[in-house]
Amino acid sequence: MSNVIHASHLTLSYGNGDKEIIKDASFSIKKGEFVFITGPSGSGKSTLLKSLYGQIQATEGSLVVGGHDLATIRKGKLQELRAHMGIIFQDYKLINEWTVAKNVVLPLMIAGYSTEIQDTQARRLLKHVKLSEHADKYPLELSGGEQQRVGVARALAKNPVVILADEPTGNLDDYSSNVIWDLMENACQQLETTVLVVTHKIPTIFSLPYRHFIIESKGVYEVH
Amino acid sequence: MKFIKNHLMFILPLMAILLGIEFFLVFERTTDTYEQGLKDGYSMFVVTKEPMELSAFQALNDHISGTKLIKRENIVAEVTKGVSQSTSEEILAALPYFYNLGLDSYLRTSELEKIKKDLLSNENVKKVETFGSSHNSNYKLFSFIKFTLKIFIVFMAVVSLFLIIKQMEIWKYAHKERMQVMEIFGAPLMLRSGVLFKVALMDAIVATILVSALFLYIKFYWATQSGIDIMVQNQEVLFKLSDIGLLLASAFFIVIFAVYSVVFSSKGVQE
Repeated sequence: MSNVIHASHLTLSYGNGDKEIIKDASFSIKKGEFVFITGPSGSGKSTLLKSLYGQIQATEGSLVVGGHDLATIRKGKLQELRAHMGIIFQDYKLINEWTVAKNVVLPLMIAGYSTEIQDTQARRLLKHVKLSEHADKYPLELSGGEQQRVGVARALAKNPVVILADEPTGNLDDYSSNVIWDLMENACQQLETTVLVVTHKIPTIFSLPYRHFIIESKGVYEVH
Repeated sequence: MKFIKNHLMFILPLMAILLGIEFFLVFERTTDTYEQGLKDGYSMFVVTKEPMELSAFQALNDHISGTKLIKRENIVAEVTKGVSQSTSEEILAALPYFYNLGLDSYLRTSELEKIKKDLLSNENVKKVETFGSSHNSNYKLFSFIKFTLKIFIVFMAVVSLFLIIKQMEIWKYAHKERMQVMEIFGAPLMLRSGVLFKVALMDAIVATILVSALFLYIKFYWATQSGIDIMVQNQEVLFKLSDIGLLLASAFFIVIFAVYSVVFSSKGVQE
């Protein structure tokens, strides 16, 4: 199977390269794999994830996502690449002045789908995350778990090639966390979506085979 | 209420700038008319030994736009009442030629002096009278009024621009998060700033309508009833329909500048 993500001697830093977060990391992730990245707080998990959607650039080495080298990618191409990603945040990053249904179809709106398709997809996705009755509500009217399910539905809206999730269950109770894990497992299993999750703790109940990377002392190591 | 307040905070300074632009246009047109009046009413008095054509005067100074020969017979007739025909003819033959010279624009005293000097450089010209002192005081007063009004308009526009920039900052915070989320999901610039453009362009249209309505009121009601001569005489130049297009274009330019400032300063995802 082809690599969806390939990092080679990747170094990520803040400032003018003074503060190294990740140093000389090399790894590859294939299509349809489920990957957990763990590590202590401040180890650089979120930084690594941000680099995968082009928010942070590599100081050294190369990072290729979906066949594009993120060090040299043009802005327009990066936008195109991001449109094929589903990104889930710990703080949900929903647009509070938009309804739940509108939030869910944001990637379709960006891709220029018609309103009819957006409406149909919004209904389907909200049914999938069991939030059909909340379609016309606003995000702040929902609980944290429900908001994160909206975030997952938004991430799945365009059948992304890769889902990047940053502590998706960090603020949720056990029940809501299990719902989120189920949704991501389904996406990986049924749609062959590559899922990369940054988390401080791997869920105890998890049915899929997965790979586990740990970030420690600036290095990224695979745990076998 | 918050919605109205947000819009008024942008519309009012924008209106102030548009009012400044329109006042400037109206003032320029009105003063041009006034200046034309002053120019038309002003002429230099020149005495020559022999008759001179307009082209001969213009060869000496190109500000000269017209000549009017004062009939010498009329002057002789005034001073030779009761004098014999032959004497009268002798006086007429001895008299020089008198001209009123018109100028192409309203000139400063120094420029009038230059014209006088140029004319006197010709041996045929005996005397030139510029009436410089009365002209100078009129001109200075006129220039002063024009200058102070322009300063006021520029000052008003600068203050308004600062208010718009302030409002832009508020917009920036109000829309920053939404635009950042859209950017993460790959939205192009025009899509993520679409709402801002819509709001701003609506505000630009509202501001233009309000300013146009104000000037139409001034033109058709207030100017007529004011009894102010300059207003009544220049009613036509107070507000032209073509000004609406100019105001709208100016408003669009300002708001597009405002929106782009907000868009380009909202890059990057917050931690």
